[in-house]
This record gives sequence, C-alpha cells and structure tokens, in this order.
Amino acid sequence: MSASAVVTLLLDPELWRLMLTMAAPLVLAGLGELVMERSGVLNVGVEGMMAVAAAVAFLTMLKTGTLLGAAAAAMAATLGLAVVLGYFAITLRSAQLTVGLCLFVFGTGLASLLYRLVIGVTTATPTVQTLPRLAVPGLAEVPFLGTVVFTQNALVYLALALVPVLAFLLVETSLGLRLRAAGENPRALDTVGVNVRALRYGAVAVGGLLIGLAGAYLPLAVTGAYSDGIVGGRGWIALMVVIFGRWQPGWALVGAILFAYTEALQFKLALVTKAVPPQVLLMLPYVVAIVVLVRLYQGAEPPRALGLPYERESRL
Amino acid sequence: MRNALAEIAKYAFAFAVAALAGAVLVAVMRGDVLGAYRTFVWSSLGTAGGFAQTLNKMCPLLLGGLAVGLALRGGYFNIGVDGQIYAGAIAATGVALALETVANPALAPFAVVVGVLGGAAFAAIPAVLRAWWSVNEIFVTVMLNFVAVFLTEYLTTGPWNDVMAGEAITRLIPDAAKLPMLSVRAGSHVGIFLALASAVLVWLVLERTRWGFEVRALGDNERAARVAGIRTAWVTAAVLVASGALAGLAGAIEVTALHHRLILGLTPGYGIMAILIAVLGKARPLGILAASFAMAILLVGSDSLQRSVGLPASAALVFQALIVLSVLFVDAKRSVRA
Repeated sequence: MSASAVVTLLLDPELWRLMLTMAAPLVLAGLGELVMERSGVLNVGVEGMMAVAAAVAFLTMLKTGTLLGAAAAAMAATLGLAVVLGYFAITLRSAQLTVGLCLFVFGTGLASLLYRLVIGVTTATPTVQTLPRLAVPGLAEVPFLGTVVFTQNALVYLALALVPVLAFLLVETSLGLRLRAAGENPRALDTVGVNVRALRYGAVAVGGLLIGLAGAYLPLAVTGAYSDGIVGGRGWIALMVVIFGRWQPGWALVGAILFAYTEALQFKLALVTKAVPPQVLLMLPYVVAIVVLVRLYQGAEPPRALGLPYERESRL
Repeated sequence: MRNALAEIAKYAFAFAVAALAGAVLVAVMRGDVLGAYRTFVWSSLGTAGGFAQTLNKMCPLLLGGLAVGLALRGGYFNIGVDGQIYAGAIAATGVALALETVANPALAPFAVVVGVLGGAAFAAIPAVLRAWWSVNEIFVTVMLNFVAVFLTEYLTTGPWNDVMAGEAITRLIPDAAKLPMLSVRAGSHVGIFLALASAVLVWLVLERTRWGFEVRALGDNERAARVAGIRTAWVTAAVLVASGALAGLAGAIEVTALHHRLILGLTPGYGIMAILIAVLGKARPLGILAASFAMAILLVGSDSLQRSVGLPASAALVFQALIVLSVLFVDAKRSVRA
C-alpha cells in the first residue's frame, strides 16, 4: 500500500464517524466512573454493570419496542448495582477494589443469565432495530466534519453534550466543588457541615445511571442484538479513559476518542485487507490499550481520597 | 469457640443466600425446587461419576484460585487467569502437536511443563510492566485476556484446526502427550493431584521460604518492604510470573488430561471464578482449597440442573458471586459494629 493510500484510509470520514459512534459508550461510562471517582468511590465493576445494562436494554426493547423504556430499564438495573456498591463502599466501608471485582463477576453472570432466562436456547439470534442516525440540518453537509460529527445517533450527541455540562458542574458550581472535596478531603467537607455520605451516594447513583446508559447503547445503537461478550472490555477501557483524562471530562473525551479510533480502524482494516487473519486485527484495540497504559500513569494524580472509606469517628 | 461458630454461621448464611437464589430461579422456571436440590447434591457428590466431575472442575478452580491468591498476597490483582490458562493450553497443545511423531511417554510431563512456562511467559508482560514501569496490573491482565481468546480462536480455526470437526477445536494431541486417568470408569483425571500438590507448594513457599516472606511483606506494606531492603521490583515481577505459571498449569492440564486438544471456550470463566475463590479463601492456600471445592460442587450441580430443568450455565457464576458478596457483607457488618 502506498503512503497516500494509507493516509486516505486513516482520514476516511466514514472511519472517523464510526470512531465517534464507538466513542459514545466509552464517554458515557467514563463520565459515570469519573463522577464516582471524583467523589472518592472507586468502581471497578463497570464491565459487569454494562453487561447487565446491555442485557436488560436488549430484552426490554425486544419485548416492548420502546427505546426510552429499554434505556430506562437498563439504567434502573445499574442504579441498583451502583447502590449495592455504594452501600458496601460508603456505609460498610469495605475494600472497594474487592467489592467492585465481585460486582464485575456478578454482573457478567447476571447479564448472561437474564438473557438465557428470557430467550432460552435458540438457533436464530433475536434482533432489534438500532437507533437511527439523525442528520443535523445544515451542519451535516459540512465537508468531513458534517459526516463525522453531525450524522450520528441521538445518544452520541447526548454523550458529547454531557462532557461540557459535567465539566461546568464540576468546576463552576458549589455542588461540583463539594463533590470534588468529598474525593480530596472528606473530613474538611464534613467539618463545614456537608454530608459526605449523601454526596458520595449521589455521585454513585449518577455514575450508575450513566454506566447503564453506556451498556444500553451497545445493543440499542450498535449491534441490535445481545451476546455474552457484547461489552468486550469497554467497561475496563472506560476506567482507563478516566485515568487518561486525569479525572477531567474534556480529557476523558480525548481518551475515549483515542480508544474508539483504534476500534474503528480495526473494523476498517478487516474490510480492506485479507492478508492478516481477522483475529489478529481484533486484538489490535487491546494491544493498543496496553501500549497506552505504559504512559497512562506518568503524572496521573487520582483524587486523594479515592478508594478510601470515610469514617466520621476515626481519629486523625 | 464463639469465633469459630460465628465463622460457620457466616458461611452458612452465604450458602443459604445462594440456595435461596437457586430456589427462586428454579421456581421461576416452574421446576420442582426440592427435586432440584436433590439433583444438585446427587449429581456433584452422590455418585462416583459426579464426584469425579467435581474433582475435574476443582482442578482449574484450585489452580486459578491459587494464582489469584498468590498475587494477592503480594498486593496485586491478577484478573488475567483466563488468558494465562489459554496461554498454558496453547503452549502445551503446540508442543504436543509439534512432537506428534515422538511416541515417548515423557511427552506428557514435558507438555505440562511447557504449558506452565507458557502461562508464566504470558504473565511476564504485566509482571515486567508492573515491576519496572508501575503500570497497573489489573488493566494489563484484563486486556491480555482478550488477546489470548483471539489467539486461541485463530489457532483453533486456523493452523491447528481439526478440519473434520467443523468447530473451533484443534486436532487431538498424540496419546503419548495425554496425562493418565485416575479412574477410567468415573472419568476423573490426575490433574487434581497436581493442583493439590501446587496448593501445598504455594503454602510452603509463602510460609517457609525467604522469598515467601518477602512476598507477604510486600503485600502488607510495600514501602516498609522496600525500606527493609527487599528488592520489591524483583519480588513483584516474580510473584506475578509465578501466578501466571499456576494458571498455565491449569491450562496445560485441561488440554493433556481432559479435552486432549485446544478448544475455544476451554475456560468458561475459570479466571473470574478464581477471583471469587481467592477472595473467599482470604488468599490462603487452605482457604482457597476449601473455596474451590465448594465452587466446583456449585458448578457441577448447576450443570446438572441445566440438563434437568434448563437452568442456564451462567447461573453458577451468579450463585458464586452471591456467596462471596454475602461473606463480604457479613465481614463488613461485623467490622463496622466492632
């Protein structure tokens, strides 16, 4: 392949559009995790939570045909899981990493179980209609950017819009300040009379809802079907996106786009090349993730109270 | 005495939660709950064949639990046991197929050793990255799981594919590469002895050697260990590689003793069950031994309910996770009150 052909391939607007489509779940889950971590609660169960959301969203969509109902059911399910995590992490002050890992396993099993209970064993995989693309009038015709940004499904627009909204809430509002304080110095926050527990529960709930939407996105906007491997590590990558973004929504978006680009590129390469086995291409996003990881932690400073339960009565 | 009773009550509570969840599930599927309990116990413990099944399942669960537990003692989370099981299985299958024409009985142990090395080599990636680049081992091991699955898919459908089978499985390994059966009639293989020996070995190394002491010191307090003169980077790397070796052994046994070939789906999530087992066993070899036996019963019992009342296979994972979450719940409740 000539150099110019490679450049054409890498800058193909269809590839970039697919990139944004695949970035949306990473953005949604990443923002959800970011809100939790900023309040001091670490949730490593994202992958399992997204799996449950994907199963619930798909099954609700299949049975009722309502998109909003499917998304709402998925978000309610992950809200429940998030509250369980919150109860362990905030009220019972358990080791958050351990509980998160157990929730990951639980969610992975539960998602598969729900699907089999409702669908049973079938030869034909049931499918649902995926979210339609909405072209933004006027902007969709702009060369390159129009195709890439303004012919996406509604949830991509929502995910992109949430980034500045969340950044504003975190940095410019007193609620955001308190949330960040809960993750940096909960005792100081407690001293001025703010309820640290309530704040952290709130953050965990919001995070659970966003992670649920991210999981629902996969069957509703991408595959139109459910399979056990549907999340495919995106929950873990969402955790990396938060670190990549240094716990800031804007940079998390950049991280999500980077990971989504390699994923989209792998799809594209599978179409144009027959020389490389498809499985080798499928490995690509995961190998890239490991390469990115090597640099990920350099200079990364997590919220100081991340993963630490807050004990009111403990001595200093 | 009271402590022991409280511990027993805790596990009884945890298993009761899982049993209740099982009853609800069976009832939802309009099955006979009491009959299901009977099938569950009978199929996993009541017959020679069932008990053999339980031991066969316990083998990868025990080795996987030891792998996670050993790393945990050093303060690290190895979430990549599934990947390392595949790596071990790939290495063992590779050497067995390459030496197909060598009808030497030493081929079986040799394939197992190569499998162990395969698991260790695969774990060397997160080990080196963790020890010298401070890269979080959780992420690396998780990502490598996906790499290992795709590599297995490539090998089982591509170069090593059994063209007659029409499935993602490789050709059978030669007879000389097969580990002997424990009981041909019951269907148990010798893998369980290798797993039990590994548990003893891990205990001996952790409790009776200088290196084991260094691992525990590292897990208790990394900084203190470093200040005390322990070369923490080397201990970190070694403990993660050793963890991978245990998982690799599990993969090699699955190939040489059970399936006699590499198959896609060789590990139906043994690696994530291993996390639960290590947590449940508090990362102690004896605890892991007991936990892996209990989880193996759950796996075989649930499997028989799949045949009789159509309980989905993934139910076992949900039961296992419920048990561990219940135990964590009781532990946390107690420490909050204390």
